[in-house]
Amino acid sequence: MVMNEKLLLGRSIETGSWVHRLDARAKLTGMIVYVAIILLSRSWLALALLAVFSLTVMASTRIPLKYFIKAAKPLRYLMLFIFIVQMLSVKEGAVWFSAGSFSLHEEGLRLGAFSVIRMVFLITFTALLTFTTTPGKLNQGLEGILSPFRRLGLSPDRITLMISIALRFIPTILDEAQIIMKAQASRGADLQELSLKEKAKMLVSLLVPVISSAFRRAQDLVYSMEARGFRMDARRSRYHRPKWGGADTAFIAMFVVLGIAIVIL
Amino acid sequence: MAIQLQQVSYIYADRSLWKQTALHDIDLAVPQGSMVGIAGATGSGKSTLLQLFNGILKPTGGSVRVLDVTIKAGEKSPKLLPLRRRVGLVFQFPEQQMFEETVEKDLCFGPLNFGLSLEEAKERAHRALLDMGLDPALLARNPFKLSGGQMRKAAIASVLAMDPDILVLDEPTATLDPLSRAELITLLERLCREQGRTVIIVTHRMDELLPYADSWVVLEKGRKAFQGSAQELARDPFILEQCGLTVPQSLRYWRAVADRFGLDNEAPCLTAESLAERIASLCAQPEEDGRGERDGYE
Repeated sequence: MVMNEKLLLGRSIETGSWVHRLDARAKLTGMIVYVAIILLSRSWLALALLAVFSLTVMASTRIPLKYFIKAAKPLRYLMLFIFIVQMLSVKEGAVWFSAGSFSLHEEGLRLGAFSVIRMVFLITFTALLTFTTTPGKLNQGLEGILSPFRRLGLSPDRITLMISIALRFIPTILDEAQIIMKAQASRGADLQELSLKEKAKMLVSLLVPVISSAFRRAQDLVYSMEARGFRMDARRSRYHRPKWGGADTAFIAMFVVLGIAIVIL
Repeated sequence: MAIQLQQVSYIYADRSLWKQTALHDIDLAVPQGSMVGIAGATGSGKSTLLQLFNGILKPTGGSVRVLDVTIKAGEKSPKLLPLRRRVGLVFQFPEQQMFEETVEKDLCFGPLNFGLSLEEAKERAHRALLDMGLDPALLARNPFKLSGGQMRKAAIASVLAMDPDILVLDEPTATLDPLSRAELITLLERLCREQGRTVIIVTHRMDELLPYADSWVVLEKGRKAFQGSAQELARDPFILEQCGLTVPQSLRYWRAVADRFGLDNEAPCLTAESLAERIASLCAQPEEDGRGERDGYE
């Protein structure tokens, strides 16, 4: 079965670019620095620099730009909402428009625009991480990043196991939901051809089978993991060993330089 | 013709990086009231093909004509609800689509969706259960508490309760025990022969369907590699190997016997019993063509 094409979450797109080959830990660190940089960008010039940098890196992955845009699309209403709230709540700077108690200020518009632009960058650029890294490697990277916390009693294995199982089963359960939807459509419950009230009723016919099969799967997974001797927090050898190279250090350095430049601006 | 496909192709996720062609240029005709087997290796497009039969998938190329409804690629399709009632599609592991707390409610789901009254729906549910060889006492039971075989049959009955003219099943016998498998195929054959429904079955176990099916469709990588009767298939079963399938035992044995005794012109015996009888009768006959069936024994 082929997965829903609208869903881009957690899907890697293989093009074999230099970004794809980087160590997942480097990419994760880069992303954390990037998020900090976004929060530090407070001027148009800083945003422009950020845009040039981000677009250059995105282009160099050789993944078509439209996939990055698609990744941000589901959040467009949230962005609109944030823009409107910022625009209406900030009452500073020159007044652009006013009617009675209602007024629009320059600063409000500026901050609204800033928030939206930052959010777009945040989502599109971090999508790069999942686009260029397979879930398995991403998890390994995450485990690497989290390993210092082991001393604090936190179990990186547990966290990454949870994340990797969740990621692993999103497509499976979606596929299954799709089959069940088709099966119920074959029994006359086609969501596309029904009114809203009937749709709500049909939801039960979809949710019960999907949830019961998710539980069945979870049970099977537990048994099969136990059958193979899986133990939490046991020392395991790795099939793919992550290797830190010069490119990885350069990748992080690149972000640090960008960060410094943006703070100076 | 119950179903007619003309140059049908189907592409998943068209216009994206994950585009995948599942069917190429399929021409297919299924006569009314016949029992058809569909075989093919995994990924050959069997399940995709089935979903075209009731408009769950719309062809991306060519046209699909089912009963009196035509779905053409690129055209707005007609209302599909009436078609869905007349073409019962049973997906793999249909028991996983059950959701009501009693078997009866689950069986009534389809008929009610198609606008029947509760009385009629219950009547249909009752009949469908009998048709699937189940005890009507099960109607009040919780479907999740039935045995695997019963649950499968009940789930098929939930599609049958819609009283479809065409019944399409995707591997209905998968994961069932041998006894339930044989039983299910016999029940399905009865639906075809006694009630005149067209029955289309996708199967990985050709052996169990070979004695019953009127014709076979074999798919290979989204193309039709063969369509014809079991007799034609028995004449050259090795086409199946080219399609990545193993030749079923019944065809293999029949081929060996037919080659040995020159029986190519008669209907193949595709069950162990009928083949044994045929061989016994051959051995009892005096030699006619001088091929010497028993050389070495005299």
